[in-house]
Amino acid sequence: MVTTAHQIRSYGPNVSQSHHDYEIRVAGRLAPRWSAWFDGLTVAPGDDGTTVLHGPVPDQAALHGLLRKLRDLGLPLISLTQKEDH
Amino acid sequence: MERPRLVGRLAGADPPGLILVSAPAGFGKTTLLAEWFGAGSTAGRHPAARRTAWLSLDASDDDPAAFWSAVVAALQTVAPGVGAEASALLQAAQPAETIVASLLNDMAEGAGTDLTLVLDDYHVITSAEIHAGVAFLVDHLPANIRLVLAGRADPPLPLARLRATGDLLEIRAADLRFTAAETGTYLNQVMGLTLGEHEVTALEARTEGWIAALQLAALSMQGRDDPAAFVASFAGDDRFVVDYLAEEVLERQPPEVRRFLLHTAVLTRLTGPLCDAVTGTTGGRAMLERLERANLFLVPLDDRRRWYRYHHLFADVLQARLLDEEPELVDQLHGRAAAWFEEAAEPAEAISHALAGHDTERAARLIELAAPALFQTRQELTARRWIAALPAELFPHRPVLSILAVGATMVSGGLTGVEQLLAGIKPWLEPGADLSGAIVHNEAELAPLPAQVAVYRAALALIGGDLAATVAHAERALELAAPDDHLRRGSAAALVGLARWSGGDLAEAEARYANSIRSLTAAGHISDVLGCSLALADIQSTRGRLGDAIATLEAGLDLARFHGVARGTADLHAALCEALLDRHDADGAARHLDAARALGEGAGLPQHPYRWRLAAARLHLAHGDGAAALPLLDEAVARYNTDMSPPVRPASAVRARAHLASGDRAAARRWARDSGLGPDDELSYVREHEHITLARLLLADHPAGGGDAPDVLAFLGRLLAAAEAGDRPGAVVEILVLTALTHEARGHRAEAAAMLDRALNAAGPEHLVGVVADERPSIDPLLAAVAAGAAAGDGDGAGDGADLARELLTAGPAAPGPAEALAPAPAIPPPAGSPVARQRGLVDPLSARELDVLRLLRGDLSGPEMARELHVSLNTLRTHTQRIYTKLDAKNRREAVRRAAELGL
Repeated sequence: MVTTAHQIRSYGPNVSQSHHDYEIRVAGRLAPRWSAWFDGLTVAPGDDGTTVLHGPVPDQAALHGLLRKLRDLGLPLISLTQKEDH
Repeated sequence: MERPRLVGRLAGADPPGLILVSAPAGFGKTTLLAEWFGAGSTAGRHPAARRTAWLSLDASDDDPAAFWSAVVAALQTVAPGVGAEASALLQAAQPAETIVASLLNDMAEGAGTDLTLVLDDYHVITSAEIHAGVAFLVDHLPANIRLVLAGRADPPLPLARLRATGDLLEIRAADLRFTAAETGTYLNQVMGLTLGEHEVTALEARTEGWIAALQLAALSMQGRDDPAAFVASFAGDDRFVVDYLAEEVLERQPPEVRRFLLHTAVLTRLTGPLCDAVTGTTGGRAMLERLERANLFLVPLDDRRRWYRYHHLFADVLQARLLDEEPELVDQLHGRAAAWFEEAAEPAEAISHALAGHDTERAARLIELAAPALFQTRQELTARRWIAALPAELFPHRPVLSILAVGATMVSGGLTGVEQLLAGIKPWLEPGADLSGAIVHNEAELAPLPAQVAVYRAALALIGGDLAATVAHAERALELAAPDDHLRRGSAAALVGLARWSGGDLAEAEARYANSIRSLTAAGHISDVLGCSLALADIQSTRGRLGDAIATLEAGLDLARFHGVARGTADLHAALCEALLDRHDADGAARHLDAARALGEGAGLPQHPYRWRLAAARLHLAHGDGAAALPLLDEAVARYNTDMSPPVRPASAVRARAHLASGDRAAARRWARDSGLGPDDELSYVREHEHITLARLLLADHPAGGGDAPDVLAFLGRLLAAAEAGDRPGAVVEILVLTALTHEARGHRAEAAAMLDRALNAAGPEHLVGVVADERPSIDPLLAAVAAGAAAGDGDGAGDGADLARELLTAGPAAPGPAEALAPAPAIPPPAGSPVARQRGLVDPLSARELDVLRLLRGDLSGPEMARELHVSLNTLRTHTQRIYTKLDAKNRREAVRRAAELGL
């Protein structure tokens, strides 16, 4: 490993993000036991054949990670909402 | 199960070059492609199958070097001659575009007819660099090559454009899902069920033709007495199909199979002995064979049935189930997998399982041992990802791991946590420290630790702008480093050099950079040598030794060629372009600019994006083409990043000079105001170039002087004294020329000639004549006066100055004076955002391809050269340029470039 002066980049500000609560609605009824797989989000199947996953998501990267898990399972995404800060 | 309706579309009469198969998991993408190419078909091979290069991507391919190596390897399975050069380029760490261009040439020439490259699971790729390379591939695909991209998400390619031009064939979820007829064939013929039409229709409706779901459904029904009842309850349930069916399938397995499935779900790939280790039983291999026979979603990864993986969808279900049912077991399973992979000498897999299983002690040990090799192969990103996953409390007792963490952070541009890590290392380095409490797994990294800490301290001080501390820490590093520790000696010397340069001590800076280059060469860090060579050449040319600067840059090129290193060579060519411009050798400069351009920005260090644009702009200015120079200068200002070098020649000042030359004094005044410059400033080396630029502005604003005008001559006098004291002949010559021009503007011909004579005498030994030549033809009368011996105290016209003046005057007719040739600067500065987004002013916007061509039109390549650059025929290029002219309402290239600049394209 080498560090010469010419390798040191300039530094941008740290991106700080507070976590937000999200509500993700998917088509199909999903059993609550999927909660652990979706990073502890509450999995709430509804009567209308859809399921709402809700709970705190630390940052955008984690949110995209969740969406990728939904995609990989073939779960059709219906809506994604950020809830008001509580 | 054959799907003629889809294969027919794929094999249509004249399929386009790009085929996109885009659908969620479990839609049979891979199976369909395999059928098309005959691999899974019994009905004879499609002609396309004869030459198909197939690459199944996984997460480890999400790295440009790994990706293109895999592509080359896949192509070589069907076209052995293809990619030999690309492989060599890959080893030399060449930029992706160079590698793709080489591959394209090979494929166009050597691949024969009808070769297909399949990139399956392309959605795992996230690297922007890979996407850019694939986009380039798509844009330049030869007629005999077909590219198939299959994945769960659309790739970031200009799909709308490709659709519009008919260059894209798409197979999407709606096409892939089973029709009712296909559902029936699949369930009753392939899976051997006996379902009635009603059941088939119900299943098709319930699964919406999703193949993975039908597969699960079929498995659930096998061996059932009453499939109709199953279908009825399935169809009447609104649970997520996979959830419902996976439960059905899992519930029907014997306990030992179910347990095996759940416990091995943590593995991304499976083999018998590994499964035994993870499950704590035996018979893993037999179990895998049993699962494969039972069609339980096991995919073999090799012909010998040694490695398998679970179907992705099924693996997710299994893992979610494991996490829910036996969460306490998950870490343990990962731990066993980590131990197995460590034993098998596969550190990357071992580390990822150790991290997944929260066995941070093991992960820390493995990372400490594996990271140095990653730094050597420039995979700092992987090292950084691993280290970031470790908890902070692990570091204080691990000095070697800590220094690796500092390196991984700083090399990739971060500072977070660095100070804390260094503070944690400090106690272990105190004299007489008791190292028995330290945890060190990589003993070889312990001895150089003190020197390495000092190097990082010096770098941190430099970032903080503390030059004295930078020097102190770097000198300490030199004391601490072993004589043969070339790497740290070279790093430390470069840091001292940089600090001295920033402080204006050019002689010391030059000596230190020379040392640094020797040490880094011995250490084999060639790209870093090239970075130091650039700095050294800048310093040498500032010290008036252009010849030495050119020699330094050429030696760098030789070294790079010898070692087959690319990164940094583009910078060297751009720097040579500027050095030759200083010598008024525009042809030589143009050759080096071409070389830099051919290498591309990927072959450049962080400064290159702005530096090559400065060089290109200066070349245009040397030809009197200010209209072409200004857009490049705007881009250079936007990309100005000196990468810690002192900002001795800001792009904004160079642009201000171009504005001045074009007569746009208002723009230059804005620059002076924004930069906070004034003629009464305290002078420093770092701002010298800006101050001389300011002197030019003042002279242009107040040629006659007198009255309230600032005293330009006094300002130039102070600048001259500072430049002479600092031994900077280039600046001395320029200041003298400006002093001569000031006298001339005020009608003092004798003083003017004397100053110019002095300037030429100072320029003589090293041919620093560029700055004089730039002032032609307006300076010609004054040159003639010097040539004629009019300078005071030089009565015979025979001195060096007079000779040089004659030489300059006879060097052919002067280039058109910049003042006449320059177009006014764009009235509106180009707004931010992508070129495509900016085209609101155009009725018919330029396509992305036309924007590519436009970029080249701005440069100085000839038509055939541009065609080569774009890998198109000259006729195609002409079509593009004509369409650009029409859209921009321009009659010729120059008008088009100007019009584009006005529109901010």
